[in-house]
Amino acid sequence: MNLTGMLYGAKLLQFAGFPAAEVLGPAATEEEIKDLISRHGEILIKPVFKGGVGKKGKAGLIGRAKDLPTALREKERLYFAEHQVGTTLAKANGVTYEAMIPAEHEVYFSLTDSTHFRAPTMTITHHGGVAIEELDKSLVASVPFEALTGMRAFVVSNALSQLQAPSEIVSPLVQHLPSLWELFHEFGMTTLELNPIRMRADKRGRLTPVACDFKCAFDRDDPRVARLDLPRSLFSSSYSDFEHEVNQLRTYQGQSDVYVVNEKGTILAPTFGGGANSLVSEMLGDDAIISSDFGGNPPYVKMKELARICYKYWLPQTNVLFIIGGKANNTDIFETFRAMADALREHYATHGPTPLYAVIGRGGPNLIRGMGVLRDTFESLKIPYKMFGFDSDMSEVINYARAADAWMKASGREQIARQQQALAG
Amino acid sequence: MYKKGVGEFKFYVGISSLAQIATKDDRVCVLNILGGESSDVTPVSHEYSGGNVVFGTSPGKGGSHMPTNLGDIPVYNNVLEGLADGHRFNAGVVYLPPAAARHGVGELIRVNPEMRKIFIVTEKIPAHDAREIRAMAQSNGVDIFGANSLGVADSWNHVRIGGALGGNTPEEALRKGSIALLSNSGNFTTTIATYLRMAGWGTTTLISSGKDVYIHYAAPEFAFALANDMRSKAAVLYVEPGGYYEWDAEFTKPVVACVVGRWKSRLTRAVGHAGAMAGGGDDAATKERWFMEKFGVEDAFTPDNPVCSRRGAVVTNIAHIPAALTAVMALNATMPDFAPEGSLALKPWFGRARDLELPPELDLPNVVAMPPYDQQIAELNRQIGAVLPRQSMKDASGVSQMDPLTQVSSLRGMSILQAAQHPMEDNLVLALLGRRASERDRALVDVAVGAHVNLTGTVTLAAVDAARAAGNTPNTVIAAALAIAGPGRAEASRHAIHGFIDLFTGSGLSVDDTETDLAAYPAPPELRALAIGADPDPIAEAMLAGLAERGVTSMPLRWLATQGGHPQVPGVVAAIAGTLVWKSLAHKEISRITAEELPWWLELFGTMIGAAAPTAAHTAEGFCGIPMAMVLGQASVTELAAAALLGERPSADILDGFAMLTGLLLTNGPGAITAQGAKGAVSADGPQTPERIQLNKAMIGFLTHAGYAHGGNGFEGIAFLLERFAGTGLVDPGDPAHGVDLDALAKEYAVAFAELKTTRKELGADRATIPCINHPVFKGKDVNVDPREEFVRTVMAQRGDYNVFHDYYRRLVVALRDAGATTNVFCVNVDALIATGLLKMLWSRYRDGSFTEAQLENAAFTVFLFGRMIGCAAEIDDHQNRGRNMDTRSPAKALSFVS
Repeated sequence: MNLTGMLYGAKLLQFAGFPAAEVLGPAATEEEIKDLISRHGEILIKPVFKGGVGKKGKAGLIGRAKDLPTALREKERLYFAEHQVGTTLAKANGVTYEAMIPAEHEVYFSLTDSTHFRAPTMTITHHGGVAIEELDKSLVASVPFEALTGMRAFVVSNALSQLQAPSEIVSPLVQHLPSLWELFHEFGMTTLELNPIRMRADKRGRLTPVACDFKCAFDRDDPRVARLDLPRSLFSSSYSDFEHEVNQLRTYQGQSDVYVVNEKGTILAPTFGGGANSLVSEMLGDDAIISSDFGGNPPYVKMKELARICYKYWLPQTNVLFIIGGKANNTDIFETFRAMADALREHYATHGPTPLYAVIGRGGPNLIRGMGVLRDTFESLKIPYKMFGFDSDMSEVINYARAADAWMKASGREQIARQQQALAG
Repeated sequence: MYKKGVGEFKFYVGISSLAQIATKDDRVCVLNILGGESSDVTPVSHEYSGGNVVFGTSPGKGGSHMPTNLGDIPVYNNVLEGLADGHRFNAGVVYLPPAAARHGVGELIRVNPEMRKIFIVTEKIPAHDAREIRAMAQSNGVDIFGANSLGVADSWNHVRIGGALGGNTPEEALRKGSIALLSNSGNFTTTIATYLRMAGWGTTTLISSGKDVYIHYAAPEFAFALANDMRSKAAVLYVEPGGYYEWDAEFTKPVVACVVGRWKSRLTRAVGHAGAMAGGGDDAATKERWFMEKFGVEDAFTPDNPVCSRRGAVVTNIAHIPAALTAVMALNATMPDFAPEGSLALKPWFGRARDLELPPELDLPNVVAMPPYDQQIAELNRQIGAVLPRQSMKDASGVSQMDPLTQVSSLRGMSILQAAQHPMEDNLVLALLGRRASERDRALVDVAVGAHVNLTGTVTLAAVDAARAAGNTPNTVIAAALAIAGPGRAEASRHAIHGFIDLFTGSGLSVDDTETDLAAYPAPPELRALAIGADPDPIAEAMLAGLAERGVTSMPLRWLATQGGHPQVPGVVAAIAGTLVWKSLAHKEISRITAEELPWWLELFGTMIGAAAPTAAHTAEGFCGIPMAMVLGQASVTELAAAALLGERPSADILDGFAMLTGLLLTNGPGAITAQGAKGAVSADGPQTPERIQLNKAMIGFLTHAGYAHGGNGFEGIAFLLERFAGTGLVDPGDPAHGVDLDALAKEYAVAFAELKTTRKELGADRATIPCINHPVFKGKDVNVDPREEFVRTVMAQRGDYNVFHDYYRRLVVALRDAGATTNVFCVNVDALIATGLLKMLWSRYRDGSFTEAQLENAAFTVFLFGRMIGCAAEIDDHQNRGRNMDTRSPAKALSFVS
């Protein structure tokens, strides 16, 4: 749940009373844009991406305009811009028009939790406006502080002293930055980054920090995020229909961490435990349809619903139903397997049989009773299967599932389909 | 602001040695002790640790207890109450929901000055709360473990705190040894400990660190405490992406680090552990590099490339941990703690290939599981047969359904169109055993059913006579016979099959076994009393002779022969049923209930066929003119049923048509009135006590739910055709050169019908209709076709099978359109198949006067009953296995009152 850009950033900063560059959204009229230019002399045109997308400047995705025709040309260029960062391709849908703030000083500021200090930590430099990782470490101050006290003025002041920051920027920053702690801590953020903060001078030369770009990440487990009343659609783009449906079941008990790895994959692997999830996802690669962690002792009803959704979306294309986990500590194997078996029976009853090979690898409480239920179900649905206990190398079990998938692709799927057709007549 | 602890950390750490993490002296308070997870886990931890939980809290449930085998653990409303009651503790375990966890930790620290260690199991604690938990613990000198952790365990101290490491049998994973374990994954903490044992390594302290952004007890302090723990010679770390914890850790003892999660760098948002995202400089690849630098190795360890140093090895697959550890420790001149306990080779515990052509790498033989799982599997295998989950089966079926698009129903996955191409005995096997019949299946069913068709000298025949004489329709006549075939009649056979299943369960013998000396399986006294007698049983002998004539062999039949004495009917029936069910039962394709009811079912089918035949067809010598030896030795169920209809042995050309009719009539889904009658009868007996279901009564339920409008209406089409073909001189309806001008016949009626329709419309009377044409679904096109009729027509054409009546109907629907009687070409519907098929079969008898119109009507009704008998048996069996007591009731709100 990441948010970038000033369109919503400026609104969020209002909660902290932190000054922000004036911004117009994609619906701005030509008159409004013209007015913005006339008041500020120059504006920036930036594409609007959902979620967290960085390095827009380097990619040439920030336009500048001092007149309306240029602004409109930039709008046309950037409105549906595409931006590749690593493996992710982001597509813009709209642009913002942001006032250009002339300034001598650009400050980088971020708040996050540092695993090094194991405390909330402020990172600041007055050499901002560039990517922080490109700066020499001596130019950057990272200062942990205690969460119960919060980021107070002295934290900022100490950091700026350490950096030997120009004296004219110290006071305004010490005055304004602490309010960002409340925004960060009380609204469920895990990261907040303002880069750059431009130090705008008034007529008398007094400086005011003005946030000119905004990035934050929200903690999806923190109900405080809801206080901001942000539209759900801001984050929805990152979820497929399947993920969205599974997320409806999200509770503090877990079991809702799913990710579609490959919509055209052929191994459906409901996985139990984060460790197993990592191993399975890594070894199956693009053969996997989803990456999931249904561990944490899901109750029968929830597990059945999760299985139902998985089957509904993916079973028709699935070669191998691969139920895999390590030796469970607390997850009742009987309950979870019973739920998955019942959901499978219901799926077959509603949608008819599909060619399937089942591979199971598991350990934990009530293991044999659970395997017994799956065995009965596979037998009655006439699904070929192999089940391994926890004394089989999990990675070899995964390799077995991959071999089963390869065989299904080669001839197995056809063989099983023929068996099913023979039964049907 | 933190309290000064041990070591040179930037924060408070109180644990100086791993041996201090979970000790015998720790006294534990569990918050939300009565919650779902704690209820399962805490008693096991308490017992494993020798009773270390002093009390728990559960708001509003103060005064209650958590029972354990070491005595009850008291429960208080809050921590203060427990302390006030004199309890003291130094360790807290938090099972609270995420919104409450922070406050729970705060309370533990606030009210208990002796608080030293807190273990947080709770998942999904907001980062906001984690920050504050950290701050509180740091300033008060408390070590936190977790959150999102499965706690800690100590194999030396035999103590487990704050989670379920080792599951419900901790000893299985926790064997005393020399390896400490720190893992981001709770599940893998146990799994790795289990893997280590396979290679001969035991454990000291095991820590499930959790995997949130804040890992409160992490690698740096673990490394510190490892160095000070004299018991631990080395450590295994299971590491996922996210955080700089491992980067800061300084190890002084050998370590195997399993770093996984490279795949996560392809993701664009947080998934799973540690919420790691791409590009944070703390991804899996980076972490692998950190450890390689620490260990002075260039690559990850794999069995093929065993790269390691004295300081350690990096693996990316947990299965490689034991080998890597052994290799690293060998460089440190250290042997495993004990002899390896096993191997990690692939060991399938269960599996079935279903006769598929599997490549060798997939076709692995099942192996005997390790103890105690081998015993559990043996126990499971003794529970023979499938057990289906029970649910309300009102208007629901696990065996039949109708496709709303094609209106084609199916039974156990086979469409009735396909079933119509199989004889009745095949469909009986399909209905009750859910599989396609083999030659042996057919022979067994033929003999078992055939043994009951001849009712000579029985009260059943008298009841049938009386019912028929009273003017009842065939369904009621047959119901009279079934009322007599109650549970008592089949009791001996049912007990015999029960005893047989008990005797051979767990034997592992195949139904086709020909080699085992079955005398080694003597019938226990109860079974023997039923199956074997001192004197010959003529019926049993006749059945055995019939089976022999048909060449049937099987393990159960062989067993019966080895028992000495004279086989009795229950023994023979048990052997027949045993042969039929054994494989399905072993493979859990049917339930034991179904298996044990099979003898009764076979008797009921025989009785119904017998009751449908005229009284004169039953003689001491045979049935419908077929000698009993032939009934048992040669005749099929289809032949016997057709004979019952005709009163004589049917010719071969009749049989295919007859089987097709019964197949088409098998089922119309669970909504059909007959199915509803059958299901209601089961529901009223209470399927949750399945052995009390009266199958004969359930079949009577089906029969009473057939009648003139449902089942008996098949005659309407026949009556229509008799009228049309009267005076045509038709001799052989199967001869395409029949000499009848069908077009003229059709046109004549179509014109007359158009006039009739107009007249009725003018009079405002009910619309005139013609039986067997039109359908509420297959209508509205220029030319309409019922796909079921089309299918059967195609099959008949392929067989070279002609039916003049069917042909007439096809021409009639066109003539009706041409005459303006209908707006388009109506379909010839599935009912026409029944009428035309049956009339073709009986036409010559009708013409020569040996079959009256009343008998034709009776036959049309009976053929419906024969078909539906099979479908309803499946429905009854399904409801008996899946249903709940009285589940066909309609709720009051679904009912209406009509005044």
